[in-house]
Amino acid sequence: MRKTRILLADDHKLMRRGLKALIEQQPDLTVVGEADDGRQAVALATSLKPDLLVMDIGMPNLNGIEAAHQITQANPGTAIVILSMHSDESYVLRALKAGAKGYLLKDSAESDLIRAVHAVAGGKSFFSPAVSKVLLDDYVRKLQRSGAEDAYDLLTPREREILQLIAEGKSNKDVANLLNLSVYTVETHRSNIMEKLNLHGVPELILYAVRKGVIS
Amino acid sequence: MCLYRFPRRLHYPNECRPDEMIMPSPEALADDSHARELARRLRRILPLVFGGLLALMIVAAIVSLYSLRQLDEIARQAQQRFAAHSQAISSIVVLVDVYDNQMDRYLFQRKNAALTATVSDVVTRGTAIHNAVLNYPADMDPEEKNLLNQIEQKILEQEKSFNTVSTWRSDEREKRAQQLMRDEIIPCRTHILQVSRDITTMNTRRFGEATQSLAMQFRAAQTRLVSMVALALVAGLLLSIVGGFYILRLEQQGRLRYRALVHSRQELEALSARLVEAQEEERRSISRELHDEVGQTLGALLVDLGQLSKLVSFDDGLVQGQISRIKSAAETAVKSIRDIALLLRPPMLDDLGLVPALEWQGREVSRRGNMEVEVHSEHVSEQLPDEVKVCVYRLVQEALNNAATHAEAKNAKVSVVQTADKIIVEIADDGRGFDPQRMRGMGILGMEERVRRLGGSLTIQSVPGKGATVKAELPIRTAPPH
Repeated sequence: MRKTRILLADDHKLMRRGLKALIEQQPDLTVVGEADDGRQAVALATSLKPDLLVMDIGMPNLNGIEAAHQITQANPGTAIVILSMHSDESYVLRALKAGAKGYLLKDSAESDLIRAVHAVAGGKSFFSPAVSKVLLDDYVRKLQRSGAEDAYDLLTPREREILQLIAEGKSNKDVANLLNLSVYTVETHRSNIMEKLNLHGVPELILYAVRKGVIS
Repeated sequence: MCLYRFPRRLHYPNECRPDEMIMPSPEALADDSHARELARRLRRILPLVFGGLLALMIVAAIVSLYSLRQLDEIARQAQQRFAAHSQAISSIVVLVDVYDNQMDRYLFQRKNAALTATVSDVVTRGTAIHNAVLNYPADMDPEEKNLLNQIEQKILEQEKSFNTVSTWRSDEREKRAQQLMRDEIIPCRTHILQVSRDITTMNTRRFGEATQSLAMQFRAAQTRLVSMVALALVAGLLLSIVGGFYILRLEQQGRLRYRALVHSRQELEALSARLVEAQEEERRSISRELHDEVGQTLGALLVDLGQLSKLVSFDDGLVQGQISRIKSAAETAVKSIRDIALLLRPPMLDDLGLVPALEWQGREVSRRGNMEVEVHSEHVSEQLPDEVKVCVYRLVQEALNNAATHAEAKNAKVSVVQTADKIIVEIADDGRGFDPQRMRGMGILGMEERVRRLGGSLTIQSVPGKGATVKAELPIRTAPPH
């Protein structure tokens, strides 16, 4: 069985050591390289072409978000899990926009890392439960204080289904195949969802899905 | 509505360096006290000098006026005297003539009755002369009196002769009249006329003398006046020179003081700018230190603890309990360190840029309190200079803090708009509001300071009971450094 090849990027040696130890315990995972700043992460991702990159945000020279941007452009084959201390929407949204598939809080790295790695390596997305909770809390509080309605209730069951699939990283074509619909119909559903939820782009859609607990 | 605008700085004192902090030197202080002493003396002297000058001018005017009046009086008196004396002597001469005429008529009794005179006619005319002499002005001098006495004498002689004649019979009178006339009357009369001419001459001379003395006195008064005016002019000139120097000196001192004031103000601004910078730098480094070193180490510790708990048998409750207590202590530490670090310097500013940091801050305020914050941004570059990012961030932080804690606002709107050459930040709340002209807390002063440092302007608009709006405009002068 081919092992999932993982690159670690964190400017703290202690953290890397801990993460590596966790990963190496799994028989199907292997750490192929370690980078201690953003630039090195980009270089190693290009030369090693790992399946997965677990990367910290706050790093010298080039921060994790910027590095993720560059790596998604140059190596679309490398999936990225962002490792962060912050559960705030700003970070999550920027990480998603930069092309990250997973967002893992350092607090829960120990318990969630392996799940996250497996999920992202399997083509899904992963967000620390604490992140989803913070996003949901913010969302609910805002709705309560403004007295606005939850736009999610406006979605039809089919739209909710499609929302989940898109948020999980499926393309229009995948969704069409899975649900036995035409690509054109999926596209129409998709733009209706975006309009109803007032979202702009897939990252915001994913964030919304995370917030609503549609995906984890 | 109260609108309070803070002046936009036109120049920014980069030229002030920390090593030239102004403290007046001891020489400067001594010089200053010397100057003050001089100024005090001058203040005492100037009124005296001015008063003296004024008094001099008044005295000159009074004296001149007085002497002019005196001279006028003297001239008038001299003229009166001359006129009175001339008239008196003329009337004496006329009376003598009339007397002699009567005498002549008496002596040569003519056929025509109108051309004859009686004894009483003659006597009466003689008395008239005496009266005229008696009525001569009393202010005559001895010489004049002497001459007048001679006239009197001659009159008396004539009267005496006439007394003799009046006793004569008419034939005797006819016989001797010619001789009497020739020997006595005519010489006597000639003498009188001569004396009266002398008197007239003397009067004229006296008048000339008086006029001359008057002219002299007038000249003296003129000289006096001229010298006084000259003195006043010289004094005035001196005074204006001294005053001019004094004013110039004061002006120079004022200019120097103004310059020193401007300088010290610039120093102060530079100092406070450096303070703000230093504070920001300090916060950033402490935040980094806490976040990166302590926080990350604790994070690694947590990972290791997880590993450890897996290595220990789940049945070993004692060790597992111990591990979980250590873990929860470490988690608490991580959380508080993160909070402290965030407060000191949000890593978002460096990691994500200004707008995400503001959005984070808005949510953070919303999470912690009862105020909902909405953040709106337009065209804000992710490559802003650090000082601008920090300034906007702190401004929003301070304004939101004020709105939430002091104004008890329910909603706040943050708007950041970037144009070609500036960034406009506006924070509006629906809280209690305040009077920005009366209430100037440290928070507002701090905002002003930060904005002024970057050459921007800050406007605080608020009405008690109707919320507040803080608006700042910051110029973006330099291109982003990277």
